[in-house]
Amino acid sequence: MEKLFEQLAYCIEFGKINKQSPYPPNMKDQEGAGELTGQLLDQGVSADDILQKALIVGMERVGVKFRENKVFVPQVLMSAKAMDAAMIQLKPHFANNPGSQKGTFIIGTVEGDLHDIGKNLVSMMVEGNGYEVIDLGTNVKAEVFIEAAEKNPKAVIGLSALLTTTMNNMEKITIAIKKHNKNTTVCVGGAPVNQEFCERIGADNYSPDPQGTVEFLNRTVA
Amino acid sequence: MDNLKTKHFTFQLKDLEISVELIEELARIDDSMPEYSRFLKEEIDSTLSLSQIEGGYTILPAQLDQNTIHIGDHCFNVGKSIANKFTNSTHIAIFTCTTGPLISDRLKELNSQGLILEAYLIDLLGSVMVEKAMDKLQAIIEAECTSKGVNITNRYSPGYMNWDVKEQKDLFAFLPENFCGIKLNESCLMTPVKSVSGFIGIGEKVRFIKHACQSCNSTNCLYRNSKNHC
Ligand code: B1M
Repeated sequence: MEKLFEQLAYCIEFGKINKQSPYPPNMKDQEGAGELTGQLLDQGVSADDILQKALIVGMERVGVKFRENKVFVPQVLMSAKAMDAAMIQLKPHFANNPGSQKGTFIIGTVEGDLHDIGKNLVSMMVEGNGYEVIDLGTNVKAEVFIEAAEKNPKAVIGLSALLTTTMNNMEKITIAIKKHNKNTTVCVGGAPVNQEFCERIGADNYSPDPQGTVEFLNRTVA
Repeated sequence: MDNLKTKHFTFQLKDLEISVELIEELARIDDSMPEYSRFLKEEIDSTLSLSQIEGGYTILPAQLDQNTIHIGDHCFNVGKSIANKFTNSTHIAIFTCTTGPLISDRLKELNSQGLILEAYLIDLLGSVMVEKAMDKLQAIIEAECTSKGVNITNRYSPGYMNWDVKEQKDLFAFLPENFCGIKLNESCLMTPVKSVSGFIGIGEKVRFIKHACQSCNSTNCLYRNSKNHC
């Protein structure tokens, strides 16, 4: 069993989706994340174990390599595709057992800002690390974050911004969220954001990369 | 140099000479990755070929000091390092350029089909398109200036170095409303997203300084030290 978990983690790490997928070339014609997940389920392994012992392990390795510039966005996206091939099979099991995910993360690009690649990458990484992700999209107002947080009381909120001007909206939104419920945790990120700004606006975490957000969530939520 | 009115140009995607290899290189797609060159070629040659790529500029007299550029009754606080690059400028070309909305529409479509890698490549293609169109616009400005015996500086945009993005509001005040179909929101974000704006200095004694990653403070930039940038 351990061997199968490791093989699946490897497929996620290197973006091997399924047997037909030609990527990565050194795994051509080998089984991918889709087949291995199916096999594990057939052997009666729980969806939760598959997630924790294989998928998250693989995704975490990708996150670390991305942070260290050892892989780039396309490789991360291939891993996300492999993750999807596995999650499609696991999701019906989670639907019967909602407690099996580590927590909920609500993410959006702040009001006034339409950039979404960075936000999407964070969203994929967090999801791949075992959290339910509610992606509110771009140009998201404070009220929308607050409404989502009300529906998901323990959720952590993630805000992304790519311009210094929209960082002002990040501040407004963080203040509004905290005013509504001071216990809501807010993470911030995006090219012009930094630790000093995070502290000044009263957010709880700044990460320059998706893996940092995952690690923060693992420390505080999971 | 005489004050000139706003000039407007449209560009065809095929004339921007964007190679599939360039996009793959910027995306850092290496030989081990699945084949995306056919997809990119199809997008460039067909799907996105109708993109409404446009740009334009106006040239106005300007006065400079250590940190600022005065144009008409507006004072642009560009910061010392950008102001330095404009040394000896007597005029400024205020420009903007866009790929048009087609790229964003295509991105939405690809994302909604779960084609995330394809969407990423198209996003990157859009960024390259607007920069390449800007190269063309800059060449037009240069040709106009050289024919009048003056030189140009490189281009600089609000939001870079110490020049506040907020000053885009003042910049756009010099261009007709809805110029090139570009709208500026409260946060000074331009839509279509793949748009740029900025200044080019003009004068007999100005110097053209090539961009160098080492002198930019954006240490986490996507293009930093890439062969095809700067
Ligand atoms: C919740 O927790 C978290 C945690 C981590 C989080 C997070 C949330 N959200 C993101 N992260 C993090 O994780 C992601 C993965 O690592 C990262 O997400 P990012 O979104 O940062 O990264 C993406 C995956 C890839 N990154 C990108 O796609 C952006 C790359 C850079 C080079 C960039 C590009 C390509 C472009 N741009 Co421009 N652009 C820059 C960028 C410089 C840079 N540092 O990268 C930036 C964002 N741009 C800037 C500027 C100023 C501008 N741009 C402009 C235009 C453009 C292009 C059109 C040429 C092009 C496309 C833009 C687009 N996104 O579609 C203009 C604005 C456009 C508009 N529509 O209004 C213009 C205003 C310039 C102008 N006046 O023309 C700067 C903003 C700084 C500021 N002062 O606000 C900038 C940082 C460059 C710089 N050197 O200063 C992390 O930040």
